[in-house]
Amino acid sequence: MEQFTRKILKNRWIIIASVIVLTLFFGYQTRFISINSDIVSSLPDDDPAALLFKNIGNQFGGNEMGMIVLESDNVFKNDLLKHVKQITDSLKITHGVSTVTSLTNILDIKSTEEGIEIGKLVDEYNLPNSQSQLDSLKSYVFSKEMYKGAIVSEDGTATVIMFTLLPDADKQAVAKEIKEKTEALNLPEIIYFGGLPFMVNDVSDLIISDIVWLLPIVFIVIALILYISFKSLRGVIMPLLTAGIAVIWTVGIMVTAGHELTIILNIVPIILLAVGSAYTIHVINSFNVSKTTDINQTIIKALGYVIIPVVLAAVTTAIGFVSFVLGAYLTMIRDFGIFTAIGVMVSLILAIFFVPALTSVFSKNDNKKTADLTEKKTILSHVILQPLSNLLFKHPKYIFSIWGILMVISIVGMFLIKTSTNMADYFKKDNPTRISEDLMQKKFGGSFPVFVVFDGDVQSPEVLKTMIKTEQFMKQDPNISITQSVADLIEQMNDAMLEGKKIPDDRTKIEQLWFLLDGQDIMPQLVSEDLDRGIIQSKFASVENKEIEAFTKKMQQFIEENSNENCKIELTGMPSVYVRLNDSLIKSQFSSLLIALVLVVLIVGMIFRSISKGIYATIPIIATILVLFGFMGFTGIPLDIATVLVGSIALGIGIDYSIHFISGFNSHLKENGDAEKAIEKTLLSSGKAIIINVTSVAAGFLVLLFSQLVPLQNFGLLVAISMFGSGLGSLTLLPVILILANRKRKIIAN
Amino acid sequence: MKTIIYSALLTILVLMAGIYTANAQDASTILKRMDDVMYSPKDMTGKNKIVLIDKAGKEEVREATIQQKGNDKRMFRFTAPASQAGISVLSLPNDVMYLYLPAFGKERRIATSAKNQNFAGTDFSYDDMESKPFSAKYAPKLIDAGTNVYTLELTPLTQSDYSKIVVTINKTNFYPETMDYYDKGNTKIKSAKYVFIKVGNYWNAQEIEMTDFKKNHKTKMQMSDVKYDTGLTDDDFTVRKLIQ
Repeated sequence: MEQFTRKILKNRWIIIASVIVLTLFFGYQTRFISINSDIVSSLPDDDPAALLFKNIGNQFGGNEMGMIVLESDNVFKNDLLKHVKQITDSLKITHGVSTVTSLTNILDIKSTEEGIEIGKLVDEYNLPNSQSQLDSLKSYVFSKEMYKGAIVSEDGTATVIMFTLLPDADKQAVAKEIKEKTEALNLPEIIYFGGLPFMVNDVSDLIISDIVWLLPIVFIVIALILYISFKSLRGVIMPLLTAGIAVIWTVGIMVTAGHELTIILNIVPIILLAVGSAYTIHVINSFNVSKTTDINQTIIKALGYVIIPVVLAAVTTAIGFVSFVLGAYLTMIRDFGIFTAIGVMVSLILAIFFVPALTSVFSKNDNKKTADLTEKKTILSHVILQPLSNLLFKHPKYIFSIWGILMVISIVGMFLIKTSTNMADYFKKDNPTRISEDLMQKKFGGSFPVFVVFDGDVQSPEVLKTMIKTEQFMKQDPNISITQSVADLIEQMNDAMLEGKKIPDDRTKIEQLWFLLDGQDIMPQLVSEDLDRGIIQSKFASVENKEIEAFTKKMQQFIEENSNENCKIELTGMPSVYVRLNDSLIKSQFSSLLIALVLVVLIVGMIFRSISKGIYATIPIIATILVLFGFMGFTGIPLDIATVLVGSIALGIGIDYSIHFISGFNSHLKENGDAEKAIEKTLLSSGKAIIINVTSVAAGFLVLLFSQLVPLQNFGLLVAISMFGSGLGSLTLLPVILILANRKRKIIAN
Repeated sequence: MKTIIYSALLTILVLMAGIYTANAQDASTILKRMDDVMYSPKDMTGKNKIVLIDKAGKEEVREATIQQKGNDKRMFRFTAPASQAGISVLSLPNDVMYLYLPAFGKERRIATSAKNQNFAGTDFSYDDMESKPFSAKYAPKLIDAGTNVYTLELTPLTQSDYSKIVVTINKTNFYPETMDYYDKGNTKIKSAKYVFIKVGNYWNAQEIEMTDFKKNHKTKMQMSDVKYDTGLTDDDFTVRKLIQ
């Protein structure tokens, strides 16, 4: 160990120079960062359901549907129609927009006595303005299933303008432009923006503002706590400097590896600030404690003490993050695991190499003060830790029972945990995007795309008839109000040819009706160019998991009964993906927790050369995680893409406190051989470090409460709770277990 | 002295007005001459080949025979592919159209007020297919007189999806060579290229290639076996003839 430290000191300039060069390099790379807040793009390609959804979205353009709703007391007014036309016209000439459908330009096929009338629902150059014209438009719109509840809400107070984007369009940029242009029109109606393009754009804005606002606050909060704890400038600057460098490197590596900032990846910097600074704190703390007259001697001595616990703490934390790589469904969660683990390792490397090198260079003549850091009688040890220690020794069984009761209550709470994968839930209730989504759901059957895919010859009567049958089946579900397919159009055209509203049995007839539909804007949204795939486009009105599951289950059964060689049916769309997401949230929660737990027990056990100590160390954190889940169950905080991360993070970070405690206990036990004395001493010495660490990490995460994204708020709160929990666990539950175990059978030093 | 200034000013004004009207006149004369080249035959018959080319370069071919009388009567009879053979479209004045689908054995009248919709899967809108003289639909402005072509900017006089069309017209023979269509955001959305050859006394658009930039899709309309002034009558453009 001494050799190692001497090498670091010898090469200190090389170390400092390489850190500066790498920081400049990665800092430069961060300029190229881009944000991707689209949850769809994070679906894994190895899951057939997710892949189908992505492909269908790309092929038929349904994923990129955006909606603008105009709300007023009555839609059928001349000036409102004018405003709809204004927006429609402005959308039409916006770059990146493929098609626009609104009340003022929607195609209308009428079958009359004389023949077929293909025209517009309203004449956009001559909008109806007399009351009688408006009334007849109203009654016509409400008489047609394809308009009522689809383009005008059933209560007649809102109308929607729908648009799709070109496949190569920059969704976010186009959504932003549309929003700005529409708002600039200053229309008197209430305007809502909905659909994925707008949502993605809004999430991106929130991600940016979160980073811009929250990161500095975390910085300041941690700086304050560090100053209060260390009362020295170095104690503040060093940890923040290394954490800052670690953030730059990690983001730089992320960008260099071609990754985009996602809704979860944006908390990586905050986590690194809170967690990564801890390693430097330990190292510096050790410098202070082992102070000698020669700075290099101090460093050699200090590093010798601290290197193993710090490496252990970093490795276990990294394991907590890496466990997501194996367990997660969404690629963004895997990325999160990888990059946070990388960041943790970077923080570790900086703490071990860079901090000693820098200290050695800048503290050469800083030997005036002598070591003055012998245990001060602080409020912390006096008012909290000593009484705590007394209490633990007096009533170990009570304390144990209190934890036991807490566990039982928490396990009950666990069964109440809900999951949430709905993107609208990301927003606070008063956020305009959330309000828009709620309105879409209430008035226009939601903005949740559902697709039923038919692989087969779409011009064959058999396939078209199956499509109609499927649509009829879907509409039995109260959450499905509108379905659209090429089969509907063929039926309408057949009716216009005076042969009834049905699919003709004769294929030639279908082909000839097709002639009229060819080239219509709607066709590429319904059938593939090669005519070997057709889809039913629909929307699902509910975001309730139960209803989504019931619907997909029912559909699966229907598909099994009706799918065959000539017409292969598949269901996809947001509900299908959400079902997978939900399953995966719970599954990945358990698998990543289990992986992390096993690895941590093994590593801690290996270091302490005793599996039972490995298990002791994990007890407080297991208890904390149970309490955490119980808390989520009782408060109704759902398991979502951010909160699913908390368990493993809590394990990775929280285990550090137990490790500190047990390693302290070990050395004190070796010194005097009496376990109870060792426990008391450990409580007083390690207790202080644990409390400071818990406070600084928890405070860092609590800043996330000010985030504008609900999952991140919950995430911050839950991590903070688990930090308090695991700190409290290692200061109460762990000593109590050791006391009780010792009373049963004397623990001896190994 | 004053009078000299006044008369000088007056001269300039008169001259300017003269240039302005000369320009306007020139532009409308040029456009009228283009209309004459395109719409002077009394009638026309020929074969039409429609090639649709998608963004991947895949081609789809349709064939039809075409008969036209004057500016406003036209009969399209599809001959290929087999599934569409026999489908016929009769266009009559005042946006009246009749469609005959042989599989159904009956005709239906189609009224289409949606003229910005594309005709039968091509990149030509009903509006583009209309053979009304351009000078009746657009106000021309001469924007360039190069060595080989005049460039006119046409502004629609009636309702249109286009904000303008920029057309280049051959200086010697007055047939159009290219037309660029602009939407109301002043973005070029479509572009047509013409190839004219002389058939008898008339210039014939042997090929029109229309490109839709938004859809990345192309349509070529090629004419062959063209005959002019064979004496078609109004009887050739009736519903009875359509069904035959």
